[in-house]
Amino acid sequence: MNEDLIIQHGLTLDEFKIIKNYLNRDLTMEELGIFSAMWNEHCCYKTSKKWLKKLPTENEIVIQGPGENAGIIDIQDNDGIAFKIESHNHPSYIEPFNGSATGVGGILRDIFTMGARPIATLDSIRFGLIESEKTKYLLNGVVHGIGHYGNCIGIPNIGGECEFESTYGFNNLVNAMAVGHVQKDKIFYSKPKSIGGLIVYIGSKTGKDGIHGASMASDVFSEDDEDDKRPSVQVGDPFMEKLLMEGCLELMSLGLIESMQDMGAAGITSSSVEMASKGNVGVLINLDKVPLRQPLSAYEILLSESQERMLAVIDEKNNLKVKEILQKWQIDYEVIGEITNNKRVVFESNNKKVVDLPVDIIVDDAPEYDREFYIPRKRKGKDFDFSNIKLEDIINTLLSNLNYLDKSWVFNQYDSTVMGDTVKEPGQSSGIVKIHGTKKVIGATTDCNPLYIRINPYEGMKYTVAESYRNLIACNINPLAITNNLNFASPLDPNIMGELVLSIDGLKTAAEKFNTPIVSGNVSLYNQTNEIPIKPTPVIGMVGSNQDLKKVNSNKFCNIGNKILILGKRLEKNLSPYLLQDQNLTSNINEYNDLEELDLDYEKKIADCVLKMSDFKYIMSCNDISRGGVFLSLLKMQYKDMGFKVNMPDPIDLFCEYSAGYVIEIRNEDLENVTSFLSKNGVGYFEIGEIVKENIEINSKKFDYFDIINNYHNNFEKIIY
Amino acid sequence: MSFKSAVITFPGSNCDRDALCYLQDLTKGVVYNIWHEEASLPRVDLVILPGGFSFGDYLRSGAMASKSKIINDVIKHANDDRYLLGICNGFQILTEIGLLEGALIQNKNLKFLGKNCFIKKKFKNNFNLSIKQDQVLQIPVAHNEGNFYCDNETLKSLKNNEQIAFEYCKGEFSNSEENINGSIEAIAGITNKKKNILGMMPHPERAYSDFHPSQDGKLIIESLIS
Repeated sequence: MNEDLIIQHGLTLDEFKIIKNYLNRDLTMEELGIFSAMWNEHCCYKTSKKWLKKLPTENEIVIQGPGENAGIIDIQDNDGIAFKIESHNHPSYIEPFNGSATGVGGILRDIFTMGARPIATLDSIRFGLIESEKTKYLLNGVVHGIGHYGNCIGIPNIGGECEFESTYGFNNLVNAMAVGHVQKDKIFYSKPKSIGGLIVYIGSKTGKDGIHGASMASDVFSEDDEDDKRPSVQVGDPFMEKLLMEGCLELMSLGLIESMQDMGAAGITSSSVEMASKGNVGVLINLDKVPLRQPLSAYEILLSESQERMLAVIDEKNNLKVKEILQKWQIDYEVIGEITNNKRVVFESNNKKVVDLPVDIIVDDAPEYDREFYIPRKRKGKDFDFSNIKLEDIINTLLSNLNYLDKSWVFNQYDSTVMGDTVKEPGQSSGIVKIHGTKKVIGATTDCNPLYIRINPYEGMKYTVAESYRNLIACNINPLAITNNLNFASPLDPNIMGELVLSIDGLKTAAEKFNTPIVSGNVSLYNQTNEIPIKPTPVIGMVGSNQDLKKVNSNKFCNIGNKILILGKRLEKNLSPYLLQDQNLTSNINEYNDLEELDLDYEKKIADCVLKMSDFKYIMSCNDISRGGVFLSLLKMQYKDMGFKVNMPDPIDLFCEYSAGYVIEIRNEDLENVTSFLSKNGVGYFEIGEIVKENIEINSKKFDYFDIINNYHNNFEKIIY
Repeated sequence: MSFKSAVITFPGSNCDRDALCYLQDLTKGVVYNIWHEEASLPRVDLVILPGGFSFGDYLRSGAMASKSKIINDVIKHANDDRYLLGICNGFQILTEIGLLEGALIQNKNLKFLGKNCFIKKKFKNNFNLSIKQDQVLQIPVAHNEGNFYCDNETLKSLKNNEQIAFEYCKGEFSNSEENINGSIEAIAGITNKKKNILGMMPHPERAYSDFHPSQDGKLIIESLIS
């Protein structure tokens, strides 16, 4: 086989040699296509597998860890929560609307494939600097695409993040997370149960869209590629997905299906291979039976990533009943093959076997690399003089930077209240939905702190996990488990590989300490365009629960006159990277000081106190302290006509970041109980002030209340237009 | 006598379950869920056409649903002077059937709008009896085509016949606009001349439970039952 052809398929010549030696014959084009799809980073994790194995993935509540369409955890009674995050970075750069829309579609299918009804989505999106017209185009397209898909199918969007930073200029990130509710005794897996079961195709017809999408997702980009790659972006139809979801959930609730697999990345190839591998069986599929939108070759059918399609295994006796239900939902349905006992993946077309491969070589023999990596040295940056900084200047800087402002412009394009169970809408500490028909709530958040991770991948990752943890704790949600989306540049660069290795190590340390195992995830590598690597962006999606909706904390001020306390430990001023960055004290990352070690025991101790005080009803409202420091937390808590009057020995501290940091509002009459509770538990606190009417005052200096509030809420929209 | 109601589900409806819960919790009576292909409606006091993207909004929002099999019976139900409520996509379907006047075009900022909005009652009818004249209600909206439009003559007749049920308004402490989507005269909901059919863009079924930020959506069902 011609070498160029092999390389075009994203395989190295060494990899090809392994295949050829194993088979001892030449490959068909279709088979080459299969290896191209299955042996790329997106499907086989060849670079990250060695490190991902180190992550904690089990504890007493994990029902399903990584390896299935989504992870599932137990939240007591018969309720399980399925969730996962997945990237759609490259497609969203090439075609922002469809790229991001199908990102949402894909992650929702991962959830309902397991028998779970999706109940919430979140999105973590990152773009370059807004001064660029390209960024505006991408931002508009991505937000429109996410909204279009989620709104139409009718799943509330309850949060996420949106960040702007220069390295994402030509490589924006779109990570979509979905959460679903499943009855524990009605979970469906991709593993087929019986030999002879019928393999059925359910959903949209197959077209040319997305051919080679999965291998594209594992490519380095150059700017000129954009137009060439556009046909590889899938086109989504949320209406079809809604029908598919209702149809599949109905089939599953009636027990008419044995197993199911979403045709996502690498389409029918990956779904059928996964099925065979999980069940330790074989598959025989007749490609002539696949419903087509247009004439396609066998090769194209195998690699198409047309959306809204499912592969299921059913018992022959249920065939008619399945057909009848899917007809009601107007969904295409075709028996295309069967489960065999020979552990081979066989595809036929025109009465010819075009693919005949042992499952083992595709899955178990997939390459695994131990790439070289460098451990970053300890940093020693500059020390800065803060004596001349004016508070007004800091506030103005914060309120003119998109990353700190109210992002309602984004969230208002999403339906966050459909399904009627939304307890907390986007823009608060975490999104919260109620489990329908119960008093239980699920909280979810996505976070990443790329700057911290660039400065110190191991500690930075601990801070990222801790931020998610605090987001849930602040709402009195008990953190339970994690899904991760590791976005990095090219792992062939040992510095970047080092960031990958160390941040996974940081994730492991923090997840073990918090007892929040990683149950699902996704890796997206080669995120670099024109030689500009993105900052390391391992995004965390954390999920937690509370058994009683009434115990959820407010993140907004409740009453004028109540006291404001802060808990936690201020990071050294010189170690508050966001403050430094935004005051333009340095633009050179090499001048940053190292991050201080995050004390996870201390995080946990304070978190336990916050949870207890919430249950005692001492806490009237609470917010975590993250980027932008105490001041921004206070602004986020501002509500109705309320403001705040605070005193700090050094007011610069209000803009520093914290470890284990929380702002809490308590009633005057509880002050004594709260402070003695905290002292008894050895937790330090500052009483910094109180809630006042229509005023913002720091160390007796009054600021223009309405100006600050309006700028905080309205500047985002002003800046992006 | 107990209050009976029904919710129609079209392919692509996504607020049908919300509407069913809303009716079950607030009417305490029988609530039917009717699939669009069913031939007939049971005799009920109120029918809700729920929100969502019936038939994927293909052609025009509400256009395809307005030709569904069940619609003949929905029209009969309304001609019988019984209550018919279209929420969001349901409102769009009612204008497409022709049971309500005007049309819902794209929001003025050309973007989907999902947020809490504030409305107040304009003219009295049986759907808003329990609401005081200047009372501001907080109810979520979630639509892309919610911008109510009609010609001048229709507008005049809507006013003369007191068919405007709700209009958008400013909420206390809210810095959002008064007329969120650009509707003519900030119209948020209208009735037919006989005032037994109401179409509205805001979602009262998302504002009634204790845990919702507002319970103002209850007032519509309370008005009908009282």
